[in-house]
Amino acid sequence: MADIEIHSLMKQFGAFKAVDDVNITVNDGEFVFLLGPSGCGKTTTLRMIAGLEMPSSGRIAIGGRNVTFLRPRYRNVGMVFQDYGLYRHLTVFGNIAYPLEVRRLGRAEIVQKVEAVARTMQITEVLQRKPDQLSAGQLQRVAIARMLVRDADVFLMDEPMSHLDAQLRGQMRAELRHIQKTVGVTTIFVTHDQLEAMTMADRIIVMKDGEMLQFATPREIFERPATEFVATFVGEPQMNILDARIARLEGKIVAMTEHFAVPLDADWVARNRVADLVDQPVRLGIRPEHIAIREMPDADHRIVAELYSFEPTGAENLYVLQCGSVMVTTRSSTTETAHLSKDEGSALAARFDPNWIYLFDPATGRTIAQAAGSDVSREDI
Amino acid sequence: MKQPTYNMESPAAPLVQRNWWVYLVLILVCLVNFVPYLWVVMTGFMDGASASSATPAWFFTPSLEAFHYLIVEKGIMKNFFNSVIVSLASTFFSVTIGMFCAYALARYDFTGRDDVSFWVLTNRMMPPVAVLIPIFVTFQTAGLLDTLAGLVLLYTAMQLPFVVWMLTGYFRDIPRRYEESAMVDGDTWFAAFRKVTLPLMMPSITATSIFVMILSWNEFAFATFLTSTQAKTMPPAIMAYSIGADIRWNVLGAAVVLITAPLILFVLLLQRQLISGLSQGVVRK
Ligand SMILES: Nc1ncnc2c1ncn2[C@@H]1O[C@H](COP(=O)(O)OP(=O)(O)OP(=O)(O)O)[C@@H](O)[C@H]1O
Ligand SMILES: [Mg+2]
Repeated sequence: MADIEIHSLMKQFGAFKAVDDVNITVNDGEFVFLLGPSGCGKTTTLRMIAGLEMPSSGRIAIGGRNVTFLRPRYRNVGMVFQDYGLYRHLTVFGNIAYPLEVRRLGRAEIVQKVEAVARTMQITEVLQRKPDQLSAGQLQRVAIARMLVRDADVFLMDEPMSHLDAQLRGQMRAELRHIQKTVGVTTIFVTHDQLEAMTMADRIIVMKDGEMLQFATPREIFERPATEFVATFVGEPQMNILDARIARLEGKIVAMTEHFAVPLDADWVARNRVADLVDQPVRLGIRPEHIAIREMPDADHRIVAELYSFEPTGAENLYVLQCGSVMVTTRSSTTETAHLSKDEGSALAARFDPNWIYLFDPATGRTIAQAAGSDVSREDI
Repeated sequence: MKQPTYNMESPAAPLVQRNWWVYLVLILVCLVNFVPYLWVVMTGFMDGASASSATPAWFFTPSLEAFHYLIVEKGIMKNFFNSVIVSLASTFFSVTIGMFCAYALARYDFTGRDDVSFWVLTNRMMPPVAVLIPIFVTFQTAGLLDTLAGLVLLYTAMQLPFVVWMLTGYFRDIPRRYEESAMVDGDTWFAAFRKVTLPLMMPSITATSIFVMILSWNEFAFATFLTSTQAKTMPPAIMAYSIGADIRWNVLGAAVVLITAPLILFVLLLQRQLISGLSQGVVRK
């Protein structure tokens, strides 16, 4: 068990920077997720931690020991590969026992350890089978068992659940989180699935194009995203982003989109000095759950829109509204919107909750102002 | 009530009855291949008179006359063991060395890798006789003429490109993940190679070895030119019995038996291993 310190890690393939200036400190026992779109350098980062790829520059320390250029076997990490990396010429038992045999453990001890971990992962019945006789779910369990069986300082998992169906994935999320917390080994988990990261992580590292955008708890990533990219990458359906312009209307600061004005919270405007941005373009962000809709406009619900499409998802309904060229998605509970029209083209009125409006810089994508609602809850993040 | 009958057969499935001609073709092919060989083997067991008689006979009293002549009088077993040593040694060296070359070509990205691959391949395109004279001169200078070491060296060099070329493709098919996974689990590179990659490669290596062994065993041109008494192998030794005005057919037949029998045994033996290797994996702990 150990902490991991990564300092300005960089990896170049020719002229292409796959990983650029990554700085992370993972605490002992923490479950950290590397989240990002395909090709952003997640696997490369993980491989550098495992020692399968040598960094172009930077430093990696595991448990205070500098391992930057050590060979994999001197690092004592356990790893699950993106495609499992199970040996097809060995049985499941042989696969799980392999790391123990490398360590020259006694036969009895090997059998006992493998059987124990097989019980944990519920693969006892398939121990004598070959990997090609297993289902994807079982393969994944074997790969995880192989990682768990030895007492590694650090666990690294590269998209272990990407081959599973949605239902199995849901089960595995809870199970994996439970196992990680039980064994208490520092774990870095790579995924491009934001739901996986949000539900299981202690902290999430969001990456894009080899760069680290934010390293924070799931809640902070969700409520106080560092950039527009992070804001849209987490959350389903994703955050609405509108092109807007800060304006002064009847003495108040508002955000003018192409077709309507969005009132802003006065305190929040003052705190974030939004008034300084008057006449400047911004990107306005609001999550679907923070847009309220009703049938007829009133003092609050002033944005008049047309229903573009209606998507029921069970407990919640998604309404995609069109207002001129602007499209926004809203999400509300089925019971609250039961009386609303579900026909495309019908008129609806919407209200953007001023507490949950974000402003992003159109040029850099950085967050200019975090939502007022997240300021309030800031203390307990 | 009459049960409707359903035709359960897929329309794409070939009718079983129609398959008799497949066996006919197979039997024909076997006959065409096997009968001449059978005839040669039979000749080897005839005595001089019946072997050279104008009316061939299917039934005759077997005699070891020809074998006695070859083994006792001519001492052909010396050539036989020369062949065994040369082909075993050259197969061992070319496959061992070639395996590592192929591994490097398949796994590592280094400057000039493609050039090396191409050069290896072009080595096979050149007809061996083209370099007969230069090699003869080289052997003469190095004092390798008529030595087993010389032949082993030459055959190893000749077979290497083939081995490298065959095995590179096979190594490419084995995901690098396997070794990486083993190394993360605490193995050295070589241990990972030996315990993970090699078992997976075994069927391919066996197949390549069979090929290389056959080529070495049958090699004629260089063996004829580079050996005379001490290191002479089977092919040039047997050649001596098939030229001249008075060919003793039973001696030639016996010689053919001696040169082909080990090959056939060898292939049969390794084929079993090859098939079992392919079907159930090689290493079972
Ligand atoms: N050996 C290599 N040589 C050249 N480029 C590479 C190499 N390995 C990775 N890359 C490049 O580096 C970038 C990051 O790759 P990486 O595998 O880390 O992505 P990833 O985030 O794991 O993506 P995914 O989610 O698809 O697995 C990619 O653009 C990839 O093409
Ligand atoms: Mg990856």
